[in-house]
Amino acid sequence: MIGALARGSMPAVPAGWRRHLELVRMSALRLLKTRYRGTSLGVLWSFANPILMTALYTTIFGTAFASYYGGSILRYVFSAFVGVTVVVFFSQATTEALSSVVANGGLLNKIALDPEIFPIAALSANAFQQLTTTFPVVLVLAAVLTHDPLRAVLVPIVFAGVLLLCAGFGLALAAFYVFFRDLLYLWGVFSFVIWMTCPVFYPAALVPAGIRPYLTMNPVGMAIGALREVTLGHGPIDFSLVGGFLAVAIVCACVGHALFRALRRDFMDLL
Amino acid sequence: MHSTLSKQAERVSPQTSAAPAIALDGVTLIRRTQEELHYDLKRSFLRLVSGRSRRVRRRTVLERVTLQIKRGEKVGLIGPNGSGKSTLLKLIAGILEPTRGSVAVSASVAPLIELGVGFDAELSLVDNIVYYAVLLGHSERDVRERIEDILDFAELREHRDEPTKTLSSGMAARLSFAIATEFRPEILLVDEVLSVGDERFRRKCAARIEHYWDEHSTILLVSHDMATVARTCDRVIWMDHGKVRFDGAASEAADAYLATIPTMASFRRGQDLVDLAHHDPRGQIVVKGRSGDETLYLIQDGRRHAITINWILRSHYGPQDVLIVDDAVIMEIVEGEALL
Repeated sequence: MIGALARGSMPAVPAGWRRHLELVRMSALRLLKTRYRGTSLGVLWSFANPILMTALYTTIFGTAFASYYGGSILRYVFSAFVGVTVVVFFSQATTEALSSVVANGGLLNKIALDPEIFPIAALSANAFQQLTTTFPVVLVLAAVLTHDPLRAVLVPIVFAGVLLLCAGFGLALAAFYVFFRDLLYLWGVFSFVIWMTCPVFYPAALVPAGIRPYLTMNPVGMAIGALREVTLGHGPIDFSLVGGFLAVAIVCACVGHALFRALRRDFMDLL
Repeated sequence: MHSTLSKQAERVSPQTSAAPAIALDGVTLIRRTQEELHYDLKRSFLRLVSGRSRRVRRRTVLERVTLQIKRGEKVGLIGPNGSGKSTLLKLIAGILEPTRGSVAVSASVAPLIELGVGFDAELSLVDNIVYYAVLLGHSERDVRERIEDILDFAELREHRDEPTKTLSSGMAARLSFAIATEFRPEILLVDEVLSVGDERFRRKCAARIEHYWDEHSTILLVSHDMATVARTCDRVIWMDHGKVRFDGAASEAADAYLATIPTMASFRRGQDLVDLAHHDPRGQIVVKGRSGDETLYLIQDGRRHAITINWILRSHYGPQDVLIVDDAVIMEIVEGEALL
């Protein structure tokens, strides 16, 4: 009799993971539907953003930095595109995850739900957009530029790492936002710092040697490094780069998840 | 109908009879006071640095509540604001977890039926119905089969593909009632349901609820209206300051309860509040009088407090507070979307 036997759940639906996934799927679908309502070019828009930004960077910095990319402006374009893709995805996914629990406070006050489904759904909706737009491009890049099937195989794995990284940050942010409602603004500032400290449109070699080690600690920078290695790299694969990033991503996900679990006990008092 | 419940005496232990539908055992709930609702990181950090960090204030909302509700019982929950009625429903629905004690529910529970559902304003009615019902635990296929029934009951068939933001608050309330009651839950939790929609629709809702009444569903009804409770429920649980003050036959509770609240002349509900009250940016309800020199009163815990114009009613007073002007009730404060 201790605890709830079937609290809030109807007998018709299997408990546990399947329900959890179903709820995430429905919530992500809802986000995608509201995002694309009334725009036939909806999906294309998430394509336009990184392409426009890459074009901008290339116009301004392309010729100046080409020497760092073996004198090839095209390599600069690809390199910037990969970087922009990761950074844009990271900041969009984490920002949406951040507000997701608070935004669904009304529902959480009416139906017994695991609040975790909302940040995960926000992440899934963004991931879906990537999978249908930039991800295939990155995959083709890897296959065409590297002629290395192993690299192409590693692309989805690195991408999964990016998801884990975003999940870790997203969960932690969503939990903190319940308590600190100025976090949205602060995170805007902070994600700009992350953006600027990633070698997205400038070559890492440009940064003074004394500062460079600090920049490599930026997990988003690590993600970009790993993704560039598997899409644009040549010669033997630098597994320390890829493996190091994956390890960091997994740690991030675990820490974010643990923080969320630890803090959620007090959520309902503040929503 | 079970109409022979007597005070406390009918308590049965789970070992000796069929398992009750709902069993609360020594439930205590301690929550943060919502005064601390919107603090921000910057201020907390500065406070921490200057050594003035405050401990989180907590309040005992429910204290050692023990009760059992059998299958098919119709129970009315009454009591003043802040006495823990709605909190009790949320515990049973699994939305809140007790700090101490245990809550056991051995049947399917419908959502809390109350104003303001939290529909997604941008989604169409159909999408909202599917989403909401899946959250409630139904499979998408089941829901899709019943969309027409839900739309028909809510009388919103012609709006099916419009975004939900085009609905009036009354229409939205109708829709939420239709969804919540469509799936024949074994336990129905009703929080002030009779304020849904216009008079005609209210009767329709009442008819549907009555249908459940006859079908031996277990029903918990939170209400201020002792008359409704006395008419429809066999048993009354009277909450006061987080404790059960009385648990027994409705007829016995009525007189004692009514003696504790002032006479209420006329009611105007939820939506009428828009002129008078709004949420300020910090989420508190600010009440302004229509004319400058009226004195407004806030009734809380059965006592009448004079309040001045622009008085900030902190949201922890909770929904269903009552404001009166010159001894006539002019409105009820109902928190939630109806206000905005």
